[in-house]
Amino acid sequence: MLIIIWIFILGGMELAKKKLPPFRKLTGLDALPEMVGRAAEMNKPVHFTTGLGSLTESVAPQLVAGLAVLAHVAELCANYGVKLIYSVYQAQVMPIATELIKEAYVKAGKPEEFIAEESVRYLSGEQFAYASAVQGIAERERPAANIMIGPFYAESMLFAETFSRIGSIQLAGTARGYQIPFFAVICDYLLIGEEIYAAGAYLSRDPLQAGTIMGQDFGKALALILMILGVLITALGSSFIVDLLGM
Amino acid sequence: MSVTVKKTIPVVIVAVVAFIVMMDYFLLTPPVDVAGKSWTSTTVTNLQNWGVILTAFALGFGAVNLFYFHSKHISRRTPGQWMYSLWLLIVIVIFTGIGVFTGPTSDQYSWLYNASYFALSATVYSSLGFYMTSGLYRALRFKNVESGIFLVVGFIVLARNAPAFAVYFPVLRVWGSFISDVLTTSAQRGIMIGGALGAISLGIRTMTGRETGFLGKLTEEERGGGIE
Repeated sequence: MLIIIWIFILGGMELAKKKLPPFRKLTGLDALPEMVGRAAEMNKPVHFTTGLGSLTESVAPQLVAGLAVLAHVAELCANYGVKLIYSVYQAQVMPIATELIKEAYVKAGKPEEFIAEESVRYLSGEQFAYASAVQGIAERERPAANIMIGPFYAESMLFAETFSRIGSIQLAGTARGYQIPFFAVICDYLLIGEEIYAAGAYLSRDPLQAGTIMGQDFGKALALILMILGVLITALGSSFIVDLLGM
Repeated sequence: MSVTVKKTIPVVIVAVVAFIVMMDYFLLTPPVDVAGKSWTSTTVTNLQNWGVILTAFALGFGAVNLFYFHSKHISRRTPGQWMYSLWLLIVIVIFTGIGVFTGPTSDQYSWLYNASYFALSATVYSSLGFYMTSGLYRALRFKNVESGIFLVVGFIVLARNAPAFAVYFPVLRVWGSFISDVLTTSAQRGIMIGGALGAISLGIRTMTGRETGFLGKLTEEERGGGIE
């Protein structure tokens, strides 16, 4: 199955070399300039968190997806002259995030506006200590916008509610199914599951990245076909699909 | 910074490490040592150890960041912040001192941890109940068709879990079970399949050097040129 998905994705990349595939609109990502612009008008910071992401666990792809969005948000903040606060949970992410944000300011021609310890803040490696610290930042510094992309656990509701109470405009995205409903009811914009993985490609508009998204969609179509076939064939008393997938 | 340092070297490291880890997971390689471990398994263990060492270094970096940030607030007497910063630094010093002098498994350190962090952590966790109630209050309002559906479904599930309702209206149990076992589970599985495919796609992009978000915003030249 993994090999088939590899073929789909590499095929998608080849197709995209010839013609850039159209993107489905992701309102949450399109709203990023509006969110940062609002912060600029209100002269308040933008808060960003990648949740309890770690680079060495199964949630690492969600963290990498979050960092891709962080790079884009940092660029917007640097251009608009808005203070960005990135709350760090895993210390190992700090050097990467610092470099990402610093580079955005250098590219915007404002390296002197980047103050590392103000923008990239290590809070705690413990879940609820981190959650309390983020809530503290929300209450004290009142960010105009809050962006949460990555793996979230019980703290999702604490963050979303606190930032909602102080009037922040919020974008949330996670692939953790249990937290999506919490974000859905509170946040202004939401990226559901796979949409966070497509964020990097969506924001960069790089044809080859877009090709991998196309390949991913072929994979989804295959999964859908297998599901429908599985239901029908199993209902007819055969275990062919189940045996084929080794389930 | 040259393209080689900024993009090529990190991407090659990521690709090689990912390839070895995948090989260890999917392929059976012959054992090379007396413990019966294959070279991929030994390499993966070594890589994980390197990861632990790097994390420890990064933690030091985090501690320096914490001290620097909060010391600045204390010296400037930032209103509404400096006293919390001072308290944080005091607590860090106490924990570090007791941890270093008595050991992290000592009775003193365990008592300090259980009596302070553990209790506070449980308090923050339990406050979730209030946040959920407040979020639910805002969410369960009839604004449009979607919120109307959400309101009805939410009410059924809520009523099904309230013993008094479920006793007088047993049909709520059937409806509630249908919503959680059929509707919610199927939607969750859809999200799960999409998420898994997305993670694989992101992994392939990262391994092939196409996903460069974690390397910062690259120029067209650094990305390897755009294809129109």
